[in-house]
Amino acid sequence: MDSQIHKIHQQLVSKDISCTALIQEKLDLLKPNTHHTVNSLLDTLALDLASKVDAKIANGESIGLLEGIPFGIKDVYMVQGTYTTASSNLLKHYKSAYTATAIQKLLDAGAIPIVKENCDSFGHGSSSENTIFGAVKNAIDPNLVGGGSSGGSAVNVAKDYTVFSIGGDTGGSVRQPAGYNKVYGLKPTYGRISRYGLMAYASSTDCVGPIAKSLEDIRIVLNVMSGKDIKDQTTYDSKPIFESNISNIENIKTIGYFKNFIESNAIDGQVKADFLTVIEKVKAKGIQVKVLDFFESETLVSTYYTLAMAETASNLSRLDGSNYGNRIESENLKETYAVTRSENFSEETKRRIVGGNQVLSQGFADEIYLKALAIRDQISANFENDFKEVDIILSPVTPNTPPKIGDSLKDPLAMYLSDAYTVGFSLGQLPTLTVPQGTVTGLQITAAKDRDERVLQFANFLKDTI
Amino acid sequence: MTVDILSSIKGAQPSEAVNKLFEVIKNANPANTNTFKNNRNNGVSLNDLRDDVVIESSEMEKQIILENFPKQKNGYLVVSKVIEE
Repeated sequence: MDSQIHKIHQQLVSKDISCTALIQEKLDLLKPNTHHTVNSLLDTLALDLASKVDAKIANGESIGLLEGIPFGIKDVYMVQGTYTTASSNLLKHYKSAYTATAIQKLLDAGAIPIVKENCDSFGHGSSSENTIFGAVKNAIDPNLVGGGSSGGSAVNVAKDYTVFSIGGDTGGSVRQPAGYNKVYGLKPTYGRISRYGLMAYASSTDCVGPIAKSLEDIRIVLNVMSGKDIKDQTTYDSKPIFESNISNIENIKTIGYFKNFIESNAIDGQVKADFLTVIEKVKAKGIQVKVLDFFESETLVSTYYTLAMAETASNLSRLDGSNYGNRIESENLKETYAVTRSENFSEETKRRIVGGNQVLSQGFADEIYLKALAIRDQISANFENDFKEVDIILSPVTPNTPPKIGDSLKDPLAMYLSDAYTVGFSLGQLPTLTVPQGTVTGLQITAAKDRDERVLQFANFLKDTI
Repeated sequence: MTVDILSSIKGAQPSEAVNKLFEVIKNANPANTNTFKNNRNNGVSLNDLRDDVVIESSEMEKQIILENFPKQKNGYLVVSKVIEE
């Protein structure tokens, strides 16, 4: 099976390349920062780790599959001793005191982190323009956005600057940039990978997600990062997904798609036509296709943003400059909090915090927040019913092609609505993978909770079918 | 309390774009509004709580926490004047 990780592993073992040369090559590619994907390079750490891998190989010791493989990390993950800025002014000089569980597992497996990657500040955005490090440029057309919020991570993978990158997906932040840059990006089932050490945006949908150029690399990295973690009590024990199971699609007999996604006025004509072509090809392979009813896009987006804003208002309330961050002194403590937050948060972050406090405040909580929670329950119930009838739900990743750099910032409502196809699966906490096929921004494959294996199986099937 | 006070953000005003999203929720009619009784929340079982023990941080962790502190003077960590009102 196609895999960059396997290929590089073989090259290292057979001494075709040294790990130091490999890491240096990737650092040299990242250094000019042509696409604004780099918040900081981890050159000293990476080269030190690489020399240890080379020493092992020179001594005739065996190395693990991920040992020496260079990877990127969205700049919202803690890695002890590295700057973790969330692409924000507030944390511009903040250093992680500890390492995120998901990243620690990759380090334990020998993978080498080389870069902290640009993203929308605190994950607040769908274009990676809401950042102090400059708008991320799309890997295919640099006049377009890289997507977001994990834009730097997706672009680095697409440009081969990293072998894989670890993004974070709250409402589509791995899947949408993966689609915009034509790579794979997985949002696993909520709780499969620990969120400990991932800077919280909306805790009830935040997911750690791998981005890579092949399905096999997604599988390898997912297996390493998965598992129960005492430091994140929403995690659960999951079984590893074996390579030999990926080619098996015996369990996939019926798939479905949402009628209103495809019949919406907002969808680009070509995306619609291409999606329906895929459906025909799947049918031709003997798989039954069901057309499903779902919530209107406006309801999905509004429910997601209501809950995400409420959660982010709460999560970001700790960022006041008292113990860390770019404190701006004023006449007393309360004023110091307010000036620090006003001067350091971006307009989009402020918009979301204010929106969150609106819906959580007295008089609005019942009318908006609790109602959004109830709609979320209905969305989850809807998914449970759908997965009694179908094994997979297939959908486009986005209704439209990536916007030009600068356009999303002018119209926040349009940006929120562009997340219409991704946010529902986040609310349902379902495993969903973007594959770089089918439409110009790819396809999303979704299965029931903890059926991540099935998602990969169908992706493998599609690889050979369309 | 106004949103600028609630948010600790000076001059903050509700956004028109965000209000449009909230209007959609206000006009929706979910069948069941007793959301806390459902079984889809991610609450932890009482049998599965982690041990209530203190775990000592490493020296490096403590050092970085101190480095991150915004202001220090004569070996002390400086905080803003406490509100007197």
